[in-house]
Amino acid sequence: MVEFFALYGKNWAEWWPQIVPAIGVTLSLTAVSYVLALVVGMVIALGKLSPIGPLRAFSVGYIEFMRGVPTLVILFLIYFGLTPLGIVLSAFWAGVTGLGLSMGGYIAEVFRAGIQAVPVGQREAARTIGMTPRQVFSYITLPQAVRIVLPPLLNMLIQLLKDSSLCALITAPELLLTAKDLASTSFLPMHLFLLVGLVYLMLAWPMSLVTRRVEARMRRGTRSAAA
Amino acid sequence: MEVLDKIPIYTLHLLKGAGFTVGITAGSLLMAVVIGLVFGALTAFVKRRITVLPITLYVEILRGLPPLAVLFILYFGLAYTGLRLEPLTAAILGLGTMGGAMLTEVFRAGFIAIHIGQREAALAVGMTPMMVLRHIILPQTWRITLPPLGNYAIGLLKDTAIVSAIAAPEIMFYARNLVTTTFDTTLIYILVAIVYFCMSFPLARLVARFERQARVA
Repeated sequence: MVEFFALYGKNWAEWWPQIVPAIGVTLSLTAVSYVLALVVGMVIALGKLSPIGPLRAFSVGYIEFMRGVPTLVILFLIYFGLTPLGIVLSAFWAGVTGLGLSMGGYIAEVFRAGIQAVPVGQREAARTIGMTPRQVFSYITLPQAVRIVLPPLLNMLIQLLKDSSLCALITAPELLLTAKDLASTSFLPMHLFLLVGLVYLMLAWPMSLVTRRVEARMRRGTRSAAA
Repeated sequence: MEVLDKIPIYTLHLLKGAGFTVGITAGSLLMAVVIGLVFGALTAFVKRRITVLPITLYVEILRGLPPLAVLFILYFGLAYTGLRLEPLTAAILGLGTMGGAMLTEVFRAGFIAIHIGQREAALAVGMTPMMVLRHIILPQTWRITLPPLGNYAIGLLKDTAIVSAIAAPEIMFYARNLVTTTFDTTLIYILVAIVYFCMSFPLARLVARFERQARVA
């Protein structure tokens, strides 16, 4: 058992300079694709709620597609499948696009549910006193939707952190791929994958703590059995 | 046209993996449900938190790790320590244990939602805890847990694509092999997307129907 941990001490100096940048890549993959997913999600959610028929149909189709197809397949489609058509993206940007588009489908549903959860009466009252639909949305609907939408959105961020590991399979230089490479050169797969697992847990844990705090905060002022 | 000729050939090849995909999904689902029911019941009903601490740790760790990392640990990591698992075994073990962690939470929420008075009343009437579980609690938990369970199953079906990375023979694995021989990435991956979509969409519709029924009642 002691020899197991001793091997960490021996290889640390060699592994550390490769793992740290990989953590950076993982974090930036997560962050950039999250931004893309939020934008895509909002657009698609508004599209699904729009009165324009074709727009609504496209949004529904987009959501069903992204929820029905594995994220890995989307990533492969973008990185390997677009190349023969002339669209060549780097592994990082293919990963960002794939993760963002895929997660955007899920986030669209979250946004839609949040917007629809705001009581209709509020919207009607606002229109009655003369607000334009755009004013209703920005001053009445959106602020209240944010409270409902924030916890699921934070969960999506944690999910994205885990999904960023899929980009290892499209050769993005992120944490899991670096671990796999180091494992094959050092012949110590268990050490590296356990280490990397620990890193993922340490990255995700603060996010879940924040999520739980935000969840409790958002529920303040609402009436429910659980305080 | 050349493309139209290739479609049936590719699709047939991909569908060879479909049986494995369904098998892996079914195996992992079974394992996850069993683990989830047992651990969920334990975490819901045992008062002392120290006793269920191992379960809590298990749930937090396996929910926080990326699926691919867990699979790599099981397939490559264990091989290093001497236990060489078959890709299929590693796939089902990995997906099953991760699913078990997720379903523990789902079932725990379902058990907690049942009013404690029911359990107390049943015990007062003379039922054993086992009987209480079977006749009173589980039938009611079912309605609450079925939608998340269904959603989990759909997610599981899609997650089987990941096990192609440890050489488990399913749709994505066959697809990647086909790509290495034909280099026809665009068409093949589009077909893969369509195959997965056709498999998951009916399930999604079914789950949506259960959700609606659960809400109406």
